[in-house]
Amino acid sequence: MAAEPVKTIDLALAAISQYKRADLDARLRQAKARLLNDHVRVVVVGEFKKGKSMLVNALVGAPVCPVFDDVSTAVPTVVRHAETPTVTLVRAPDANGIAQRHSVPVEQLPNYACEQGNPGNRERLDHIEVGIPRQLLANGLELVDTPGVGGLSSVHGAATMATLPSADAVLLVSDASQEYTAPEMEFLRQASAACPNVACVLTKIDAYTDWRTIEELNRGHLAKAGIKAPLFAVSTTLRWMALQGGDADLNAESGYSDLVRYLRRDVLAKAGELANRSTAHDVLAVTDQIAGSLRAEQSAAQNPEKIQELIRQLTDAERRATGLRERSARWQQTLNDGVADLNADIDYDLRDRVREILRQGDEALVSGDPTKTWDQFSKWVQEAAAAAASANFIWASQRARYLAQRVAEHFDDERQHLLPTLRTESGDPLRSVPELTTRPAEPWGIASRALTGLRGSYMGMLMFGMLGTLVGLALINPISVGAGLLMGGKAIGDERKRIIAKRQNDAKVALRRYADDVTFHVGKDSRDMLRRMQRDLRDHFTAQAEQMKRSLQESLQAAEKSVKASKSERETRLAEIQAELQRLEAVQRQARALLPAGKPVSKEGAAA
Amino acid sequence: MTTGPISPTPATLTGAVRDVLRLAVDTYRHQPRTADTLRHQLDRLDQPLRVAIAGKVKAGKSTLLNALVGEAIAPTDAGECTRVVTWYRNGLSPKIVLHPKSGPPTPLPVVRRDAALDIDLHGMPAEQVDRLVVDWPAQSLRTMTLIDTPGIASLSTENSKRTVTFLDPQDDTPTEVDAVIYLMRHLHVADAEFLTSFHDRGMVQANAVNTVAILSRADEIGGGRVDAMLAARAIASRYRAEPALRGLCQTVVAVAGLLAHTGRTLRQSDFMLLTELADAPRDKLDAALLSTDRFLRADAVLPSITVDTRRVLLSRFGIFGIRLSTMLIRQGVRTPTALAGELVGRSGLSDLQRLLHLQFGERRDLLKARSALLALDHVLRTTPGDRGTLAAQVERILTGTHEFAELHLLSALRAGSVTFPRHLTDEAERLLGGAGIAPAVRLNLPPGTGPGELSRAAHIALRQWQRHAENPMFGRRTADACRLIVRTCEGILAAHTPPPTAGR
Repeated sequence: MAAEPVKTIDLALAAISQYKRADLDARLRQAKARLLNDHVRVVVVGEFKKGKSMLVNALVGAPVCPVFDDVSTAVPTVVRHAETPTVTLVRAPDANGIAQRHSVPVEQLPNYACEQGNPGNRERLDHIEVGIPRQLLANGLELVDTPGVGGLSSVHGAATMATLPSADAVLLVSDASQEYTAPEMEFLRQASAACPNVACVLTKIDAYTDWRTIEELNRGHLAKAGIKAPLFAVSTTLRWMALQGGDADLNAESGYSDLVRYLRRDVLAKAGELANRSTAHDVLAVTDQIAGSLRAEQSAAQNPEKIQELIRQLTDAERRATGLRERSARWQQTLNDGVADLNADIDYDLRDRVREILRQGDEALVSGDPTKTWDQFSKWVQEAAAAAASANFIWASQRARYLAQRVAEHFDDERQHLLPTLRTESGDPLRSVPELTTRPAEPWGIASRALTGLRGSYMGMLMFGMLGTLVGLALINPISVGAGLLMGGKAIGDERKRIIAKRQNDAKVALRRYADDVTFHVGKDSRDMLRRMQRDLRDHFTAQAEQMKRSLQESLQAAEKSVKASKSERETRLAEIQAELQRLEAVQRQARALLPAGKPVSKEGAAA
Repeated sequence: MTTGPISPTPATLTGAVRDVLRLAVDTYRHQPRTADTLRHQLDRLDQPLRVAIAGKVKAGKSTLLNALVGEAIAPTDAGECTRVVTWYRNGLSPKIVLHPKSGPPTPLPVVRRDAALDIDLHGMPAEQVDRLVVDWPAQSLRTMTLIDTPGIASLSTENSKRTVTFLDPQDDTPTEVDAVIYLMRHLHVADAEFLTSFHDRGMVQANAVNTVAILSRADEIGGGRVDAMLAARAIASRYRAEPALRGLCQTVVAVAGLLAHTGRTLRQSDFMLLTELADAPRDKLDAALLSTDRFLRADAVLPSITVDTRRVLLSRFGIFGIRLSTMLIRQGVRTPTALAGELVGRSGLSDLQRLLHLQFGERRDLLKARSALLALDHVLRTTPGDRGTLAAQVERILTGTHEFAELHLLSALRAGSVTFPRHLTDEAERLLGGAGIAPAVRLNLPPGTGPGELSRAAHIALRQWQRHAENPMFGRRTADACRLIVRTCEGILAAHTPPPTAGR
């Protein structure tokens, strides 16, 4: 993402190259790849006609999202950095899970992105990706313009909610014509539970004299609801004028400079901070492991009389490190049990929600002739199902995060257990070893990393899958309806009752089939998500245990080798080690510089 | 408002309803409360039509009410403002009475601040207030009592609830209003839900017919550009075609409430200020009108106008209003009257007034009779005992009155439960009175058409619809509907064929 962490990783890679540790090398390369691919996703949401597309346009300073007076955005549009302007249409994944993508000329964007060209998203697009060369986006920032929510219970609203856990920040857009309404506050409440960074944007302040009053009222509502979200009052008109005339004062007046600063400093920088922190940890961990071997050797060379003691400790530690890889390790159990529990809970939750829909649906169906109310009814069912699926998903992803955190804690705990013996017995040189275990941010870092796989995968299904693929509900048997119409004139008494009963039954069957479809698809997505998370966490921690074991082995070998060495050999080796340690220390210093000041990872700042 | 040619039936309909209500009052004389309710309904027949103004919070309900009345009587504010249901009716002198949920009504002092009424509830919490009744001498209130309601989807759920219970009482009692003006800024789920629920209950005979939807604050669309109203009209016409809305309301029009109100209350001093602004250098003025903050800056344009004056101007016109007015003045509007006319015309208020007259004004007797019958029907259904004769009479009026049948069919057409081939739908709706109940409107002829022309056109329509009624391809319900339209044509013919003196 940023240049600094990448440079540090390159430095570390160079420093460890001579040790031929392919495992550590791979770890650093992976970290680098992740850094280079990482996007910071900012989702822009709000009711319609609040100026969401205008906001995105004004932020990047180019008309990337089409704007109309009437309801316009039909498809979520992802705006990110690219060397030349590009437009890519992305269709929802097909049965094989492959999302179709194809590029179209830039000027055709309105034909796909907005309600006028693509009413009700008849092109069945999942989203549109727009690439544009902009400095603001160059650091991996990605802006997502969404269709208006139109109330939380709408399908769009539910789909928007479902994208929130994967967003790095959410901008809720409302305009200065009125204070927050109940649906908006409800949205904010849910959003701030699902996403770490929520900010409110008050648009169109140029058109309303009383925007300051509205701003105050909104702040009051936020405070009352206990939502800690910053609020930015902006004017898109002024921003455009400022961009066109290059007028800095006007830009400040438009309020956009604050918003851009927030995106840069808080969202990007915070995401950058997280990236920095995880980079620093990776680099420190890798270099510490190398340095650990060197120090063990050094310690053995300096105090030959204690060498047997040291070897015993190292053997012990190595044995325990092997244990960490075993299935019986406590963190593994936590992970397996946790995922099994989670699977059951999430499945139960989903079934429970769907059952409630079925119950209400059945109730509604028995009251009359379903052909008359079918349109309304099927819309209601779809909305209810979308809401249930998104609630289930948000809950599942929250629990998954929590589980990932617990596993990470356990793993660290066990490692703590393993390493203190090394520290207490071996005196000065090894003191820095345990420090790699105290990583305050690590659990969250890992959790979010393990969950990045979620991005996009779930969103596609919810965004339009609910509208499109689950057609089970679209029609109740047209033949029975046709027959009913033909007979309608003659049907009297029992015959009419029979027809209505038959239609009710058909409707119930359709409802059941739809509910089955929903449970099946959403359930599969949840299970996939959990399985992915389980695999990612397991691989991650196993790899770490593996690396640690190997480092301990090398320390052991080095110590054993020094037993056999002659005094002069020891002297030369000690000097070598000293120089090598200093080199590693320099890399570590650079890695530590990535960490925010005042929050040192290691307890002993003296070594740095 | 002009009085249209009143067809004889509504008058006799009101008579019939009055008779049946009197009979009911007599029947229930031993149950004072029920008799009171019925007497209340009887009084309502002679009162103006009651029209509620409803909509989401901050949709501009109070502003529109002020525009319709032509005076700033309903208080408006940047934040959520209307907290209790407030009735504005015509009275000889200004008077405000607070009706608490329990306890006797208390008169409140009439205080005006900056022209608007300053209503102080005397510390009574809004939840305990049933309604405020404001008597106000105003021409516009003579034909219609306007009822301002708190916004739905309000953050204060209590406020929303008050509106919902007022317009859509859960306990199945008929609502107190005869018609509803529904304001929305853009069609939102909450709007559709509200309109649906409002129609689901209690409206036995008709539904879409007594609701008019308004795309409000139309001047703010597209950031208050000078052509905002054109865009707003285009959106309104899209909504008119929206199936979801067709079943819920008669029609949708775009109205800029603030502009309309300011236009109706334009003062000479406003005009002078605007002329001064319009004379300022164009680029300076445009720069100052970029944002409200810029306009309020002391050094913006014409420092001779104080900031306070500007603020007042801004609150009265809005940034769009000032942009539009200065443009109009530059284009040659020379007098306050002409400017006021332009503003009101462009605001869509005249369209709305015409619409209200067509949909509610001309139908008022029918709508009031309907409310009364629904109330009576409710009483009959909820009180024990055998009311055979009364029930039969109510039933007879409800089913026997052609106008009710028309209303019923009209709403069935709009809701889509009765369908015509596409090319016939518009004509059917118009003949049934969908655009207004005057014969000329129904026959799609210019107003003031002579009786000879009218009867000729009615004759053609009659023939056509007789043929449609025989069309074997139409289902039973559609054929029934055709026959009903045939009766409508017959009614027009009957009223207009006799010697021309019977016309207007």
